[in-house]
Amino acid sequence: MHYIVKNLMVPISDYATISEGSTLLEAVLSLENNRVEVSNTIYPHWIVLVLDSQNKVIGKLSQINVLRALEPESTHTELIEKLRDLGFSCKFITALREGGDSEKISLEEIYTDPKLMNMKVEDFMRKLAHNDFIDENTPLATAAHQMSVRQRLSMLVTRSGEVVGVLRLADVFNAVIQAIKTTQ
Amino acid sequence: MQELKRLYDRIVQRANINLRELEFDVNPYVQNLIPFEQMVKFYAFFGISPHHPLDFQFRRSNLAGSYFLGQCKVTNSLLYKSDIRGDELKKKGDLFQYQNFEIPVSRDEEIDIEDSMLIKTLVHNFSHDPETLETFFIRNTVAANYSNIHGSPSDGSFVGSFATVDLTTMRDCVIGNFAYLQAGEVSHLNIAPGTVWIRNPDEFNFMYQHPVEMLNDYIYFKAGVPPRGVFIDFVEDRKEAFQRVFDVVNIEHSTTVPSSASLDRYAVNKPPTHIGENVLVSQRAYLQNAWLGKGANAQENCYIINSRLEGYNVTAHGAKIIGADLGTNVFVGFNSFLRGAAGKGLTIGKDSIIMPHTIIDIRVPLNIPEGHLVWGMIKCKEDLDRHSISIEAFSKINSSFTMGNMFFEGNGGSFVGAFRDRIEHILEANGAFFNGSEKKGHAQKNQYISFNTLQPYPEGKNKGLYPTIVIKP
Repeated sequence: MHYIVKNLMVPISDYATISEGSTLLEAVLSLENNRVEVSNTIYPHWIVLVLDSQNKVIGKLSQINVLRALEPESTHTELIEKLRDLGFSCKFITALREGGDSEKISLEEIYTDPKLMNMKVEDFMRKLAHNDFIDENTPLATAAHQMSVRQRLSMLVTRSGEVVGVLRLADVFNAVIQAIKTTQ
Repeated sequence: MQELKRLYDRIVQRANINLRELEFDVNPYVQNLIPFEQMVKFYAFFGISPHHPLDFQFRRSNLAGSYFLGQCKVTNSLLYKSDIRGDELKKKGDLFQYQNFEIPVSRDEEIDIEDSMLIKTLVHNFSHDPETLETFFIRNTVAANYSNIHGSPSDGSFVGSFATVDLTTMRDCVIGNFAYLQAGEVSHLNIAPGTVWIRNPDEFNFMYQHPVEMLNDYIYFKAGVPPRGVFIDFVEDRKEAFQRVFDVVNIEHSTTVPSSASLDRYAVNKPPTHIGENVLVSQRAYLQNAWLGKGANAQENCYIINSRLEGYNVTAHGAKIIGADLGTNVFVGFNSFLRGAAGKGLTIGKDSIIMPHTIIDIRVPLNIPEGHLVWGMIKCKEDLDRHSISIEAFSKINSSFTMGNMFFEGNGGSFVGAFRDRIEHILEANGAFFNGSEKKGHAQKNQYISFNTLQPYPEGKNKGLYPTIVIKP
């Protein structure tokens, strides 16, 4: 079978969404619910789409975005970012982190901090760039190439400029495996 | 003067295009830094000697108060009181060592400055980029007062006041005030003011961050605010002495200079001063009540006042030593500011390394033991304890080390070895080891330089621009 993107995508209506202005706590719950609702499928959804007031997709929210938002902000965090930019190794930075602020702040303190929990989703979501989109008629090989070089776990599928679905890496990979098997 | 203004706009626009990703606008930093009238006021000058190549090409540029030596091309640029020293460029046939490669140099290297604005900037050394061996380029770059671009090709970057980029190719970067970096190759980085960063991938990585609040007392420069602080006051207070040096055609220094040493005619020399054998005092250096032992040097923009340097001392570009006694083989890095207590008060033991961009500013006497590595900002003995370590101990580090705002990862021995090798190379290049017939360096070769001046259009739409000038042997 010659796959194109629209054969592989998950329709937007099947995807969890959250509105612009929602809080971090609401985002966490929506990610959790999303996983539970689809846990009977082989590949659960790992992201939530963020919609503006016109229901346009303006961002993606993944588990990693939430974890980053929960990082304690301090001068120590800034320093660690700087050392990372200047080429210090992960090992060095990890050792520094463990000796820094994170050791002194308990998990409870971080995860019940009302300032953190009330952060707006648009402050920590992944904003969309032009290379986050792919047309629904794109062939499988091209889609696989784009996800590979752009290092994307998912892309938004468009029809005449409108987002109509989500293309997930797991589905693309599965289709590639099927294609390989068929040709053997 | 309209052409001069158009040229300024062109340079600013080109720098900004390169820096758009960092959302950095150079215009508010430099728009009032040099009144255009000043650019008409000063002559440019160049040196000729039997020991240096001669190939200058100046096109559609202003060169007010700038000095040129060697092989240099300047196009569509504003160079204000800058030093462009092409006396360490590579020559055709040289072999450039890079990692496991020995790359032959196919033609004499040249400094190529285009679409750039350099204000009181020192450009020196040679391109350390293995991809551009024959061209030390500076393009679409704006550099502010007393910055150093040392062996560092640059494209689309902004270099802050008293910042140094050393042996590093940079593209689309902002280098904050008084930041020092030596990192091989960097791009799209915004380096915070007061960062001292030295990296050799797979070998070592050193980073120190000056406390910004305290650093602001020494140098403060931001959009719309011209550079100010202790550093600026210090050089401004001594500006008049340089004025005289530049106004007089034939200048005779009253100090006895040995035949193996060089005291540049564009240096300020306020006796009593002692110049030992093989000493090099470069142009724009300032000596006052200074004793320089054999093989010591004072490079461009250095100030040595009420101080004694025992010998084989490297005082790198822009370093200031006031009220201090330095043992032999003490290295003082770029733009370091060492100020002893009233009278004398700072002693530095032999073989110590004062890292680039170190500030030692004390009110009571302080003794730095011999063989120490020193960095950061030091105002008392307690600060010294937090910002120094014996070189022997540092050499034993083989994984990582943190002390206050200093972070080190890698091999300490390799780091110290790299410094030692470089100090040796600088002393050699400066002629510190000259034995009367061999091992000539700048101290011996620079005695035979004669100087010529260049002037811009005095009136009309090209006012301030220099005509196209090509100078060859």
